[in-house]
Amino acid sequence: MEMKLFDIDIIEYGFFITAIALVLIGLYAVLIKKSLIKIVIGLSILDSGINLLLITIGYVKGGTAPVFSPSVIKDMPLTMENIKKISEGMVDPIPQALVLTAIVIGFGVTAVALSLVIRLYRHHQTLNIDQIKNLKW
Amino acid sequence: MVGSPVFFIAIPLLVAFIIPLAGYVSKELVRILPGLVLIYLLALSFSLMGYVMEYGTIVEQIAGWAPPWGINLVYSPFTGFLTTLMLFIGLVIWIYSYRFKNVDFEEGKKFFILFLMLVTGAVGIVLTGDIFNQFVFIEITSIAGYALTAFYRGRDSAEASFKYLMIGSLSSMFLLLAIALIYSQLGTLNMADIASKSHLMLPEFKILALIFFIIGLGIEAEIFPLNGWAPDAYSQAPGPVGAAFAGIVVKAGVYAVIRIIFTLFDVEGTHEFLIVAGLITLLVAEMAALKQTRLKRMLAYSSIGQMGLVLIAFGIGTEAGVFAAIFLMFNHAIIKSLLFLSGSYLVYNSSEKFISEVNGMGKYLPITAVLFSLGAIAIVGMPPFAGFWSKWSVLTAAAHEGMFMIIGMILLVSIVELVYYFRIINRIFFFKMEDHIEPKRPTANALIAMFALGVIILVIGFYPGLITGYIHEASQSLLDKGKYIHDVLSAGVLTR
Repeated sequence: MEMKLFDIDIIEYGFFITAIALVLIGLYAVLIKKSLIKIVIGLSILDSGINLLLITIGYVKGGTAPVFSPSVIKDMPLTMENIKKISEGMVDPIPQALVLTAIVIGFGVTAVALSLVIRLYRHHQTLNIDQIKNLKW
Repeated sequence: MVGSPVFFIAIPLLVAFIIPLAGYVSKELVRILPGLVLIYLLALSFSLMGYVMEYGTIVEQIAGWAPPWGINLVYSPFTGFLTTLMLFIGLVIWIYSYRFKNVDFEEGKKFFILFLMLVTGAVGIVLTGDIFNQFVFIEITSIAGYALTAFYRGRDSAEASFKYLMIGSLSSMFLLLAIALIYSQLGTLNMADIASKSHLMLPEFKILALIFFIIGLGIEAEIFPLNGWAPDAYSQAPGPVGAAFAGIVVKAGVYAVIRIIFTLFDVEGTHEFLIVAGLITLLVAEMAALKQTRLKRMLAYSSIGQMGLVLIAFGIGTEAGVFAAIFLMFNHAIIKSLLFLSGSYLVYNSSEKFISEVNGMGKYLPITAVLFSLGAIAIVGMPPFAGFWSKWSVLTAAAHEGMFMIIGMILLVSIVELVYYFRIINRIFFFKMEDHIEPKRPTANALIAMFALGVIILVIGFYPGLITGYIHEASQSLLDKGKYIHDVLSAGVLTR
């Protein structure tokens, strides 16, 4: 059995490009910028890019919420075949659950990072990363 | 059986959040609670270990969702052994730091909360059977680690912590990418399910996912180019935290890498990769350790080097190699914790922690100095102590496979190790003390903790048979991939 990486569609394509662009912008900020605050912002953007990528994996074009509500069932008898047919039109809920967790973790990391930036600023009186290098290899 | 593997995560997490409330009842309770939790969990872990050795792996499903749908915890001889080891080190560190920040209640409270979180996260990494759940535990461990690294305000700890945070969060992105890749290909997050389906993945994606995983997990496992944070974090964090990193966090990281490589994917050449990565890590770290002028940085580099040795032993891949690797992990946890705990008393009152400041400490702190020397001799691998047996088993495992290059390298590096540890022992006992240093006598509980570790080094040195039975069982359980998959995936059918 061969598997394709993603079923490429024009809308999904757009999502992928956006996600990758966000990741690249974030990486640029983290690696090139000198200000600690900008680095933390870059980290957040990177985080969003990856979250969008995760969501896109479970995305179904025109899909419904993964709940068997009356409007989705439409008086069809709930046989195995019908359940399978209905669920094919549903968005995959697992990536969304993962992203929810990842967002919370990203929030926590950003909060810790910002508190460290405050501490660094008080200690060194600067946010320029080139001037904060007491510790060396 | 008196409990289930869920307790290892639920109880410490609950107690970590109860501690601030307990502070209103009694200030002493804040210090006692973590210890009670660790003692209980250690006893539970020992009893479960006995059960697992007799009846086989315990697979715990959470909220009744059978694998591969729900999250499951796997208590096999291998994961159980590591859990017991980590909890034991956690308990010793708790005894050592019982009077930590005794005058400053708020700071002490924070320390114990974060320390319990660190232990919970590390134990969770080892026990979980789900890759996304593992990611969450890695983040719990890392965030607790960032906060503990930045614990002291006066030093450059914020800088060390920020470095650790940047490397850690970038690597966690790679971990998420790897998880996304696997989920898009196989539609599952359960480790056993992935292992049984991984032949369905295209080889390119499999290798890409593997690379992302190794970048993501290599941070905690201190594989060579990813370990820049370690020396800074170890040297800026409080002494007991350095011991916790070396004894608990790194072990969890190595476990995660090994689980991915041994169980999840069967890609050609990963064992060679482990050997090469391990050798580079070993050589670079030991050379760096040789030229360090600060005690804790030297210990940190030595710790990275030992992890390189562990990776080499896992890379040999035979049962003897895996046995040697797990034995090394055990010994390193015990010995390096002793070195960090006793070492931080040797340089207690100096701000820069230079190696020259341990001069002549043998006269003022005889017990600490002797314990530090015991640890130093044991980690180099001198015969009557614990470290000898693990190094010996690595060498015999390599010799059995005809890898004489590796044996030569390990012996060469051992000489370097010998030089820099004996240099310190020499300074401690035979140099004259510098004038401005005031030695600090260890408290009674710190002495008890260090003695416990010292006694274990001696006992394992003379009777290695006490532990080798468990390690044999653990290495077989790691290598038997089919049994792991079967145990987990049949757990929904069998009810205990």
